[in-house]
Amino acid sequence: MTQKISKQEHAKMKNPIIQFFKFIYLSLKIMRIVAGGHGGTRP
Amino acid sequence: MSKIVILGAGIAGHTAASHLRRKLSKKHEVLVVSPNRNYQWVPSNIWVGIGRMKSEDVFFPLEPLYKRKGIGYKQAKVVSFHPEGDATEPKPFVKVEYLYGEMLGMQEKVTYDFLINATGPKLAFELTEGLNPGTNKAYSVCTYDHATHASAALHELINKIKSTQKKAKILIGTGHAKATCQGAAFEYILNVEKELVKFKVRDKVEITWISNENELGDFGMDGMLLSYQNQVMKSSEMVEMVFADRGIKWILGAGIQKVEDGKVSYENLEGEHLTEEFDFAMLIPAFSGHGFKAFDKANEDITAKLFKGFMIVDADYSPKPYEEWSVQDWPETYQNPSYNNIFAPGIAFAPPHSISKPRKSKNGTEIFPAPPRTGMPSGITAKLVADNIIDTINGAKTLHHKGSMGNMGAACIASAGYGLSKGSGISITTFPIVPDYNKYPETHGRELKKTFGDIGLAGHWLKLSLHYAFIYKAKMKPFWWLIPE
Repeated sequence: MTQKISKQEHAKMKNPIIQFFKFIYLSLKIMRIVAGGHGGTRP
Repeated sequence: MSKIVILGAGIAGHTAASHLRRKLSKKHEVLVVSPNRNYQWVPSNIWVGIGRMKSEDVFFPLEPLYKRKGIGYKQAKVVSFHPEGDATEPKPFVKVEYLYGEMLGMQEKVTYDFLINATGPKLAFELTEGLNPGTNKAYSVCTYDHATHASAALHELINKIKSTQKKAKILIGTGHAKATCQGAAFEYILNVEKELVKFKVRDKVEITWISNENELGDFGMDGMLLSYQNQVMKSSEMVEMVFADRGIKWILGAGIQKVEDGKVSYENLEGEHLTEEFDFAMLIPAFSGHGFKAFDKANEDITAKLFKGFMIVDADYSPKPYEEWSVQDWPETYQNPSYNNIFAPGIAFAPPHSISKPRKSKNGTEIFPAPPRTGMPSGITAKLVADNIIDTINGAKTLHHKGSMGNMGAACIASAGYGLSKGSGISITTFPIVPDYNKYPETHGRELKKTFGDIGLAGHWLKLSLHYAFIYKAKMKPFWWLIPE
């Protein structure tokens, strides 16, 4: 069954204050994943 | 002194050229050969496609930048590869044909010590009958020109709906049974939906997603399990949730075979031949290699040593069933095994196989997404190729820099609507890009801590920040190299 986005979640997604902190959090998290290095997979 | 020739000035080619020029002394020559005059930041084309950005916002001319930075530049296309030279030229070379200026139409042998093939994909519209951007009411956002035309047609339709109050149908997705780049189409459909709301005609338009994916959210990466808020969710569930929220319908497992005026004909995995009508469509074409030819010193055709559609690199291309595919099949250094001074980062290398499970319709037609290779892996692989070439010039005997897509993370910040206060974005990260089912058997081949999704206004701000950051980086402004690929 399809999950729905509730009105409360919609409000959070649009709230600029919550989203500002989320922006900082996501930027750091994405930076950690992307700049976290890469390498080979073969022994 | 070494001469490094880079074919292509997209994300991979430009990244390689920039790093090589920054790290190598001026006694080494860095030369870019590209048919395009401009560098374009492709991920922002979707905003050009809805009219929220002008094409000038996503591109800048290459020649003045290269002149300032000491990078050679020829606006030309490659005609053929000659990795052993020929009877008159002892050095390896590529034959190029000029596309602009006084040399227009003239051919030249461009010799090299190292060659980086970053020619990307050919947008193979011709593989789908009737699919040609701007005809049959079907458009593309693959280039800024295509996106500009798509925006004009979309706004023409919006104006028509407003003046006539007639209902309309919009179809967005993949235009070929084995197309890739579902992510761009996904962003575009959400942006178009948001624009229709903005112009108060949303209730008059039926929007449908059509894709060769077996499940929503496959994105050519076999889908993913991801962390979303406090739960673990399949990407299919997340995309379904978003589409249901926006009232977008979907058609899956569809291999479009023909586009006529306002109508597509497609075959689905059930083997049914169906049609879908539309007033405006944006369909991503199949990607293919450029059909380059290669010749040895004696002028014998050696294309098979260099190309398998795209360029052959250090991948395991031996044919094997899906169950035996391994993350180790994917290349690590992007070096051609026959000629160790030729590399193909970005989208120019031939993938060993798809990432999504191959599927056939009941009639035997292959319908599944080809592997996506977007901006981030293109930049990372180009940089590691540049670093390996620099090491080799400095005397290294082996290639130390490695970057398999099976050991590399990627972020997909999908715009879901433009606007500083009313915009939205879906931020998805995945690690690794190619699932490693042995390392992460319980979580569909991915590390859950690094594979997550988030929806909200912050996603739009992120995407917009990346737009400005990467154009700054591409323009090689002060400290550009501090911005990761």
